[in-house]
Amino acid sequence: MSLLHRIRTLFRRRDIEAEMAEEMRFHLEQRAADYASDGLPAEEAQLAAQRKFGNLASLQEQARDERGWRWLENFWHDLQLGVRSLRQSPGFTLLAVSALALGIGANTSMFSVLNGVMLKPLPYAHLPQLDRLYRATAQNPEGNISPADFREFQQVKDGYGDAAAYTPERVSLAEPGRPAEMAASARATANLFSLLGVQPQLGRDFRPGEDTPGRDRVVLLSQRTWQSRFAGSPEVVGRSVRIDGEPHVVIGVLPQSFNDWRFLGGVDFFRPLALTPEQTRDRANPLIRLIARRAATVSPEDADRFVAAFGTRLAKEFPAIHAETNWRRVTLQTVAAGPGAAQILPLLIGLSGFVLLIACSNLANLLLARTMTRAREFAVRAALGASRLQLLRPLIAESLLLALAGGVLALVVAHWFRDWAAMRSTGENGEHVDFVVDWAVMTWALAASLATALAFGLAPALFALRLDLNHTLKSGGRGTTGGRGHQRFRQILIIGQFALAMVLLAGAGLFIRGLDALNKRRAGWESHQLVTGMIALPTGTYADAHKIAAFHRLMEERLAALPGVGSVSLSSFTPAFVWPEVRKFIVEGQDRPVAGREPAAVVNRVSPRYFDTYGTRVLSGRSFHERDTASSTRVYLINQAAARGLFGDQNPIGRRLAQVDDDNLRWGEIVGVVTDVQPVVTDDNPFAFQFYLPMAQEPQREFQLTVRAAQVAPAALVDDVRAAMTELDPDLPVSRLQPADTTIYHASYQDRVLRDMLAYFGVLGLALASLGIYGVIARTVAQRTGEFAIRLALGASVRNITRLVLGSGVRLALLGAGVGLLGAIGVTRVLMAAYPRLPTDSGLILVATTLLLVAVALFACWLPARRAGKIDAISALRAE
Amino acid sequence: MTAKNELFPGTLDMLILRVLSRGELHGWGITNKLELVSQSALQVDEGSLYPSLYRMEAKGWIEAEWRLTENNRRAKYYRLTRAGRKQLEKEQELWTRMRAIIDLVMQSA
Repeated sequence: MSLLHRIRTLFRRRDIEAEMAEEMRFHLEQRAADYASDGLPAEEAQLAAQRKFGNLASLQEQARDERGWRWLENFWHDLQLGVRSLRQSPGFTLLAVSALALGIGANTSMFSVLNGVMLKPLPYAHLPQLDRLYRATAQNPEGNISPADFREFQQVKDGYGDAAAYTPERVSLAEPGRPAEMAASARATANLFSLLGVQPQLGRDFRPGEDTPGRDRVVLLSQRTWQSRFAGSPEVVGRSVRIDGEPHVVIGVLPQSFNDWRFLGGVDFFRPLALTPEQTRDRANPLIRLIARRAATVSPEDADRFVAAFGTRLAKEFPAIHAETNWRRVTLQTVAAGPGAAQILPLLIGLSGFVLLIACSNLANLLLARTMTRAREFAVRAALGASRLQLLRPLIAESLLLALAGGVLALVVAHWFRDWAAMRSTGENGEHVDFVVDWAVMTWALAASLATALAFGLAPALFALRLDLNHTLKSGGRGTTGGRGHQRFRQILIIGQFALAMVLLAGAGLFIRGLDALNKRRAGWESHQLVTGMIALPTGTYADAHKIAAFHRLMEERLAALPGVGSVSLSSFTPAFVWPEVRKFIVEGQDRPVAGREPAAVVNRVSPRYFDTYGTRVLSGRSFHERDTASSTRVYLINQAAARGLFGDQNPIGRRLAQVDDDNLRWGEIVGVVTDVQPVVTDDNPFAFQFYLPMAQEPQREFQLTVRAAQVAPAALVDDVRAAMTELDPDLPVSRLQPADTTIYHASYQDRVLRDMLAYFGVLGLALASLGIYGVIARTVAQRTGEFAIRLALGASVRNITRLVLGSGVRLALLGAGVGLLGAIGVTRVLMAAYPRLPTDSGLILVATTLLLVAVALFACWLPARRAGKIDAISALRAE
Repeated sequence: MTAKNELFPGTLDMLILRVLSRGELHGWGITNKLELVSQSALQVDEGSLYPSLYRMEAKGWIEAEWRLTENNRRAKYYRLTRAGRKQLEKEQELWTRMRAIIDLVMQSA
């Protein structure tokens, strides 16, 4: 009641004032009437009543105080005053607000990234209970599981909750009258969507049992595919589409929220995961990705124990495959954020915080200068009896206004950033993370603005309070020099700004140089003249290894005959990216290691011309040739690191290898050694051993096509290659058929976004810091005009004065850079940890950054220094 | 607060509440009633009366309503709320206790 009353009085102030006046008038009249009835003449009675009543205005003032909203009314008044005073100095306001907008904007943008990537929950109803389960090995902490492992888990899952599985695949999607396209599909168990808590927006979910062979010709479309390929038509349900040449019925469309790119959002459509009895016995091929939902009664700790115990059991029962593995659980939300997010995003927030700090210390400097010019006004008001709070209030109101204006503009900046990031971070398949400016982001911006206002508005205000009244009043109109304390405070702010700018620039420089070097690096291979593309042969048309091998040969022949083509190769993977396939081997004639500790290598199946095409040198022995076929002896090529690691100084050629997971060990002979190749990726690749097998001995349905252009630009070959492929099989899509360098460039798009953001922070930080030093030096010069005039009059040269001013500025910049060096080394460490393979030469970058900072500081100080040199001594002294 | 006889600090609220507990009154009426009841020993200053009324209104002890007087004049009438009645009891009790203590000290010390 009482609070309600207060709020009402706040909004009905005008009415209440009027009521109060009327009430008191009534009182006055009554008293006057009272006096009149005692016999006083009417006029005198009125005067007497007024005398008795006292000062009406002061009484009303007192009454207003009693209502308890006085401070708020005052505050409103202060804000109005603040608006007026800010409008009187538009230059200052513009500078302060834009510095804040950029600073808070950078910070808010980064928060929106953190929000979009890590904080925003995935759109699944059962999210808190959802986990990915991994079979971790020493080489791969996020290993997938085999169909047989999945079946084992299915049998015990009741003690845990529920489990679903999926496996991504690339397929060809064809409809009559349209060219075939390669699409990202996934095979999923029938319960995947109910496990996630997702319902189709149209049609129905998979039915239990549809994930059995023969019943699996149904497909659920993503909302994106529904829109792009089927124009969002509701009649799509029930239609037939051809996937890998087989007719499938569309049964439903997933909701739009499912398009979340962080997890499964990139999949164009889902088919049931129908494993044949033979496939479910497969324990060697890790194709299954397992998602588990904990029952509500199972705590996370219990779940961890359950998963670990399950792994231990498997290791005991199947040591050949599962020894030395370790099963673990990671929440789906963590998985979705992606690797490195936990390191990189906080780093970015931190760095953007540095930008904000630089912006804020600029604001503090500006406010301090502004407060100092008003020092006399404060001194007079203090002398007249204004309390400290009364002096402080308008200053706080002013910085609050600035911060809020900055905060609102920061949201605009964050909005721009969102559009920019969406554009820059879009991959080839249209995948991007949506950085929505939602409530969380707005709250962040508001909190950042308020914190800024309080921290950096109060500091100068407190300085104003420490003014020595006497001194300020005595020093007359020039009472603005500020004591030594102010001077030092300002210098510390400048040093801090340069230190932060140093950290930002050095971090950005290191990362940019490293990334560029990485993208240019072609170790053990080269790609300049190459065109690459990806092909997946549909099961329908290419039913067995025989047919696949025959098509491979036909393709190679046809493409090699095209004019301008130097050589053609087919391979499972290209050397540009990490080879995901890992196999364990044993070497004939060497002791077999403990199960699980056999040497592991990444494997690539390649056609005979692969090494010519990529320029990977065969160091000894021979390359593969056409006579290495399914019916001839198995042969291997191994890289130098494997040759050294497995055979030391011995000659590896002629030695024999076998894969551990083969049921009956098939031995193959090493026929040659090639140079090591390194992929163009930033993540650490723990596989030093690289083995090659002839494609003809294990024909692959999904493979990479590489064509080397002879004498023509690779881009010129793309159309001819595509035409030749269409002629071979019109239903066969070739995806990403383009120059290899283009593919490599696109692949690092996320790193480039990070690179651009760091560059943006660095430039912004430097700009703000130079603005800061310019402001301070310019002010100092203005304050020291008299001193400089005397110096000039006493015979100092213009050069001396300029040098004096420049020297003071550069000293600050150098001090700042020195302090920043420590921070820069820290940032370098974090980047190195997140990107272990990033080539860096930090020494050069640090020196270059320091030089850049000093150069910018010199320029920023040179402008005011020139003015100092131009002081006309006579008129300056006369003005004293 | 100035009056012919100085009031103890803090007692004005209690006196007003007491006067209002007998029925609703406007500001002028409260002044008159206090003078009358105290046989003109107390003269309440308007400068204390109105702030006190507004304060108690904000605290929810009293509420006000604009009505016409017998002379057809608009006036603001104050009335005790339930909370005000409780407050009056509390203050009365406190006052009685304080008076007894003060008497005791003044007589026996």
